[in-house]
Amino acid sequence: MQCVVTGGNVKVLGKAIHCLSRIGDELYVEPQEDGLALRSVNSSRSAYACFLFAPLFFSRYSIPKELSFRCKMAIKSVQTVFRSLATLEKSVEKCHISLDEQKDRLTFTLHCKHGLLKTHNLSYQDSESLEAVFDKDSCANVLRAQPRVLVDTVAHFPTSLEEVTVTVNDERMWVRNYVEDESERSKVMLTELCLAADEFDQFAIKAHNSITFCLKEFRGLLLFAESTGLPVSMYLDEPGSPVVLSVTDSVLEGNFVLATLSDDRSPPKSNRGADAEQPQPSDDFMNDDMDSYLIAMDTSIAPGPSTSDLPAPPVAASRKLPAPNNRSRRHSEEEEEEDGEEDLERPPDKKFRSLFFGSVLPSSPLMSTQPVTTQEVLASDSEDETEAE
Amino acid sequence: MKFRGKITDIACLNHFTRVVTTIAKLTKTCVLQLTPDNLFFILSGKVTNGGVGMRCQLLQANFFHEYQMEGVSSELNQICLEVGPDNLSRALKTVQCAKSVKIKLSKKHCACLSISAELPTLSSVSRVVTHDVPVEVIPRRLWQEFQEDNMADFDVSIYLPPLKTMKNVVDRMKNLSNFLVMEANLKGEMNLKIQTDLVSVSTHFKDLGNPPWGEDSSQDGGLSQSRDPESMAEVTVDIRKLQQFLVGQQVNPSKAMCNMVHQSAVHLILLHEDVSLQYFLPAVA
Amino acid sequence: MPLSTISQSQDEQYVLLAILDNARNLSNILKAITCKDHAIFTATANGLKVTVEDSKCMQANAFIQADVFQEFTLKEDLVVFQINLTVLLDCLNIFGGNTAAGVSTALRLCYRGYGHPLTLFLEEGGVVTVCKINTQEPEEPIDFEFSSSDVTNKVILQSESLKEAFSELDMTSEVLQITMSPSQPYFRLSTFGNSGNAHYDYPKDSDMMELFQCNKTQTNRYKMSLLKPSTKALAISCKVSVRTDSRGVLSLQYLVRNDDGQICFVEYFCCPDEEVEEE
Repeated sequence: MQCVVTGGNVKVLGKAIHCLSRIGDELYVEPQEDGLALRSVNSSRSAYACFLFAPLFFSRYSIPKELSFRCKMAIKSVQTVFRSLATLEKSVEKCHISLDEQKDRLTFTLHCKHGLLKTHNLSYQDSESLEAVFDKDSCANVLRAQPRVLVDTVAHFPTSLEEVTVTVNDERMWVRNYVEDESERSKVMLTELCLAADEFDQFAIKAHNSITFCLKEFRGLLLFAESTGLPVSMYLDEPGSPVVLSVTDSVLEGNFVLATLSDDRSPPKSNRGADAEQPQPSDDFMNDDMDSYLIAMDTSIAPGPSTSDLPAPPVAASRKLPAPNNRSRRHSEEEEEEDGEEDLERPPDKKFRSLFFGSVLPSSPLMSTQPVTTQEVLASDSEDETEAE
Repeated sequence: MKFRGKITDIACLNHFTRVVTTIAKLTKTCVLQLTPDNLFFILSGKVTNGGVGMRCQLLQANFFHEYQMEGVSSELNQICLEVGPDNLSRALKTVQCAKSVKIKLSKKHCACLSISAELPTLSSVSRVVTHDVPVEVIPRRLWQEFQEDNMADFDVSIYLPPLKTMKNVVDRMKNLSNFLVMEANLKGEMNLKIQTDLVSVSTHFKDLGNPPWGEDSSQDGGLSQSRDPESMAEVTVDIRKLQQFLVGQQVNPSKAMCNMVHQSAVHLILLHEDVSLQYFLPAVA
Repeated sequence: MPLSTISQSQDEQYVLLAILDNARNLSNILKAITCKDHAIFTATANGLKVTVEDSKCMQANAFIQADVFQEFTLKEDLVVFQINLTVLLDCLNIFGGNTAAGVSTALRLCYRGYGHPLTLFLEEGGVVTVCKINTQEPEEPIDFEFSSSDVTNKVILQSESLKEAFSELDMTSEVLQITMSPSQPYFRLSTFGNSGNAHYDYPKDSDMMELFQCNKTQTNRYKMSLLKPSTKALAISCKVSVRTDSRGVLSLQYLVRNDDGQICFVEYFCCPDEEVEEE
């Protein structure tokens, strides 16, 4: 394999790798006919990301014809190649990626200013293909926005926040911080942001859904989108189905597939769903009548029930929440791969469904938005011995 | 019990945010006391905070375009809430570009201070953000803890040097020692000192001036005459607590002073046009 | 008590008296050699040499010429003492150590002799700080016997080009390997980390290479932990000279220009780690 990246594309490649490092610890590299695929998955397999760089992204792209090659490597080591992201554009003139199968190493050579040559020989392990099964086109709702809109939106939430809930109806999108534990609700600050449909480039809603997913990975994608100036598309469906976030241009495609909180055990229309159906004005900007938002409380006793005219706020009080111990499992960064597999064996009591590695394959081409449609969409990760569900 | 306020001026919003952020740097939780004319952020000097106390007063009229409140009763027209100033600060920081910001006491899943704002967007419709900061309503029987104490009789009152200089000095001294001795006299001199096995460092400020305290203050008006101007009042404090106070300062005070009770306490006072911040540091044994 | 009021008679008690308009000119260069707390101060008529050592294998020296000081008075031919460098740096930067708005900290450094503390008077904006730092019995610094007549290979590089390499060093590698050769790869830095190796090659005709004098191919490994502190010297320097002698001992000389445009030097010596088999 010989790939050469030049000019500003070196930085794009570096950004993509940094962005993938927010997902998992390993980078899966697969040179394909339709481009170089870089992928990562988190340890509990609830988040997956793939960048496909089309041959035209490279100034030279040649891959072995006869045999397919795949490998995985520590993402940290690849990050060191692109350590100084800020100066990458100025200092690196050319990046050469080549494979030495004899020595089991992938070599990144950076040709820098002043004749400085940086050669990183990175060891790798063979791996099977890693691909999540997802179908953007079957998602009921498609939204597309300039990265700035979404960056400004997530800026309202603290970096420590793990999940957000996104609710859509025909006119609006709401974003809230998700609080798992009911008893926590009175201790944490709840933030809700409401965006009108016309802030988006595309806002095609068929189902009024409310989904909850991880913010960290979302922020990762936004960093990439912002630096490349590419609009972000969100494909979202019902709770439990993954949300797909993607960026595309003529020579690259990035897809982030994030599991969403499954809502199986709650009534079909949760409070939030209902909220999405009939959005209440979340605030009083239309209604400036003082009395409507003043409330009566007596301080000398425990706060009693509200006597205000306001209906109860749209909290998911009736929603059944999974046991919290699964949460810690999922978030443990040090988690071993096996734990992820263990999770797969017990889908019913986990918070997020793992992503569909090795699940039943739909037959339609899934990444149909791109010249990369030939990509095999539904491979299984052979390292998962267990079948999900 | 009702409270609702609206800030429409961006400078007021900025200023209010800086004050709240200052408070957030000083304490994790505090009491927000609302009265018809003022907002107070209060940390009473309990043993659990190492005896550190804080009291910050804001004239509501200088911040709020609209301000309406109804206390517990007409004779006790105030509201006391326990609040995490960090939440407030975070919420306010994200709405800095808003046209107007509303703050109101509301009952949602729990008692909240709801901060809502309309944010400008490129589209015709503005973006609306609401932060519900959970608060705890403090029952009336606990109120007396938050009432302002009479100022203790102090030995020396002195204006502080520029806070930035003082912060630099205290930052370095903190690297060298856990305790710091503050000394001041009525000649306008103040010294900060540390002493360890390895090193002794003393920083000498002079010509700081001593604030005049009127006859009606708790201090004996005749004290300055009776006290030897050269004689130093001295307090040993926990250097981290002093540093915390200096690090947090987001508001440039028009007057900064310090009252010292010999070997007992330091009382730092920052006065701004419409804000006052007092910080009590007990002496360490 | 501003510095000016300290009387001459007091000055006479000191065996060493140094006055500096800008304490940063001392603190910046001392920062470049901080890797251990203990520093040996050696004052001669030429100026001040400050030495820090680690593991008997590495030595860092900062040289501040006498003429960098506004006044440098020595009552004896040689004054030597040992002091805690971290504490000294905190004292020198007591006012924050910033140059903002043209404010600088004036320094008067005094030493009365054996058994006495090192006394610093620092003044900024009319505020005076007095520091007394206890001194210790000086240890004998190691003589690396590095002689310029025995230099095998030498290159001088603009620091800029090495800064990037040092900031990117793979810290999972225990060693930094330096290859200098009259033929390819000329000047190479290599690391051998958990997930692979990396080589940084500087061609001899690079415009960053000010001098290239390599006589013989030499490959030596140095402990990363010993060389990493030299990054601080690199950061404030404009040029660096990399030399090795026939034993493989490494000398890194950094040319540092201070706030007032005067030149000071920092030098690191480091023993090679082990014999290396050619890869």
